[in-house]
Amino acid sequence: MKKELPYSTPSGYFDSLKSRLSTIPESKSRFNFVPYFALAVSFALLVMLGNFILTKSLASQPASDEEIIEYLIDSGTTLAQLEDASYNY
Amino acid sequence: MQEQEKYFNELVQKYSEPLYWHVRSLVGGHEDTDDLLQEIFVKVWKALPGFRGDSDVFTWLWRIATNEALSHLRKARVRAALSFSSLEGQAERISDPDPYFDGDAALRNLRKALLKLPDKQRLVFAMRYWQDLSYERISEITGTSVGALKASYHIAYEKVKQFLTNPD
Repeated sequence: MKKELPYSTPSGYFDSLKSRLSTIPESKSRFNFVPYFALAVSFALLVMLGNFILTKSLASQPASDEEIIEYLIDSGTTLAQLEDASYNY
Repeated sequence: MQEQEKYFNELVQKYSEPLYWHVRSLVGGHEDTDDLLQEIFVKVWKALPGFRGDSDVFTWLWRIATNEALSHLRKARVRAALSFSSLEGQAERISDPDPYFDGDAALRNLRKALLKLPDKQRLVFAMRYWQDLSYERISEITGTSVGALKASYHIAYEKVKQFLTNPD
């Protein structure tokens, strides 16, 4: 058995390989802002969507008088505060 | 950073060609080897800041390249398994029309025999037979004991001999 690899390469291959490999530091060191930009855009869209849904749901379902009363009782709002509020209003 | 880039380019100039032949002896095809060389040197660039010279640069580079080549072979086996065809059959189909194969019929048979070996046996055979590396050097690169390497080489050699005597 002959101890020589029976393979060849295209002509001028090693020169082009070396010049290709030499560009690795440049391409890998460059700051890749695309994923960060995509992340920021996704986050902004999510916030806008959440805000839209929340606004819509609140606007479409106004609180009833009973709910307002319940809220005021639960929150411990005093009659004096209510009177002050209605006076100021 | 510039020092690192300079050193990287020195490695490219000095070792890209011998590393190509190392990977080619394991993988076989030119296109696969070319892709792997790119990946190997990307890894080398990323690992360069952590390279403290505990092992010599040859061992370090050959270790990275060997791991990449073995990983490539493992993936090829899984791909072959998923496509329900044997890797050997695939390899034979790929190797026959290879425009960058220069060997005669005997070497073509040797190549086929090597493609049939399990990865570790092929690795030790390629590093001993084609690259003439010592068992000690191969042991440093692969992290396998010299005794285990000798046993693997012996088994691989016998299998290749048997295949060449009776290729069918």
